[in-house]
Amino acid sequence: MRTVTVSISLGSLFVLAAVNTAFAQPPDMLPDSEDVPSSLMTFFVTSAPIGDGGNLGGLSGADAHCQDLARAAGAGGKTWRAYLSTQARPGQPAVNARDRIGEGPWYYPRAKLLDYLNRRLDRSLHKSQIHGDTLEEAQRGSNMSKEFALTEKGEYVNGVGDPLPTRHDMLTGSLPDGRAFTDDADHTCNNWTSNGAGSAQVGHSDRIGNGNQSWNSSHATTGCSQEDLISSGGIGLFYCFAVD
Amino acid sequence: MSKALIHAAILALSLLAAATARAQHGMPGGTPMTFFVTSKPIGDGGNLGGLAGADAHCQNLAAAAGAGGRTWRAYLSTQDRPGAPAVSARDRIGAGPWYNFDGVMIARDLAHLHGDTIELARLGNNLNKRTGLTEKGQIVPGLNDYKHPRDTDWEYVKTTPYSNRHEVLTGSQLDGREFPPDLDYTCENWTSNRDPEAPGMGAGPNRPNAQIGFPDRNGGGNGSWNSSHGTTGCSQTALVRTHGVGMLYCFAIN
Repeated sequence: MRTVTVSISLGSLFVLAAVNTAFAQPPDMLPDSEDVPSSLMTFFVTSAPIGDGGNLGGLSGADAHCQDLARAAGAGGKTWRAYLSTQARPGQPAVNARDRIGEGPWYYPRAKLLDYLNRRLDRSLHKSQIHGDTLEEAQRGSNMSKEFALTEKGEYVNGVGDPLPTRHDMLTGSLPDGRAFTDDADHTCNNWTSNGAGSAQVGHSDRIGNGNQSWNSSHATTGCSQEDLISSGGIGLFYCFAVD
Repeated sequence: MSKALIHAAILALSLLAAATARAQHGMPGGTPMTFFVTSKPIGDGGNLGGLAGADAHCQNLAAAAGAGGRTWRAYLSTQDRPGAPAVSARDRIGAGPWYNFDGVMIARDLAHLHGDTIELARLGNNLNKRTGLTEKGQIVPGLNDYKHPRDTDWEYVKTTPYSNRHEVLTGSQLDGREFPPDLDYTCENWTSNRDPEAPGMGAGPNRPNAQIGFPDRNGGGNGSWNSSHGTTGCSQTALVRTHGVGMLYCFAIN
């Protein structure tokens, strides 16, 4: 009797499979087994913070963090840059985050081979789209979303509505167009060297919070210590882009 | 675990998540609802009975939710036709601000809603998956909420309320205005349930079609709330093929 039951179940499965193929393949039901080798990943959110608040060891320290995390995920063969701006200081010109990250387009950590072969050929980040360089691009938006802004391990970043602590504040120190602030106030935790005084501009990886949808310039943190970052809705994560 | 149990768990989790979101961000309550996404479609594809039929659908759903004291309008454009000048969705919905079921502001005014300047557009309005609620306070199911091979099949979707249905009919361009009259973006001004003979998606010659947007801001390669892409046709089954069911945005004008 057991054998009979099993064969009936298998039979039903085959019928189901046959039915499924009759429907157009929507883009969301692609098999999970077709992962692109992770070395093809060219964008991710850091899975862990450096942990010293806004002191990232400057841009070089942040870049090294991106590179280390990418290497651990099997994507160390690329050159990674943290999406961070620094502000002008005496003898030190400002650096724009958007000028540091290459030209793209960038692909997210869980891009599937079938995405490229089928309907998600356009599922990538484009520099002009993510920054809204034209009014139309700014109005339309981009692929940058909670489902896209995953860690290098392919995991979601906790955002609004997810279990605490919220991790969606992404350090950027940038204006919505991806450039450095030009006023006298601190927007970069003293160019990413302060874990106390100052403030950092952050975006939201889930595009939710503070009444806007900005991924890169939603609001300022209350300070630069690790506790300050946490009280603002983040833990000191940032975006990493491959420049090659 | 039975399917029903899984579904109950999913529902419980989303309710918990919504509650957490409110507590965490201290979202203000108490402001009367002046915006919602319809909890259900009219059900005849792109044939809404014209703007009047769509407005009545908004009004009826609002009334059932205790918000019938306001005048509700569907966010829809129509295209220029002989004897029937075009109508822009943005000109139909009042001046704002608009608040959702939770009393959270979606947008201050028309310029904020549509991103009329590049600075406004880059920051965006406050419509997102957590705020784009129905008149009953439900989150509209979107991508990745509940994947099922049949979630592009109306026969399945109509009895599966948690399946992806995040495409909202607008018939509008990004700025909230109508498209030029030559190609169909409005299922013949919301009177048609016809499909094109040739397969494909979006507007084109002899292609009945509706422009849609995403309340969860996730899809179409852009996430536009009001003008992301077109449909495969105007029948109910065609809308579902790209993960819509014919939902509308409803705004109170007073």
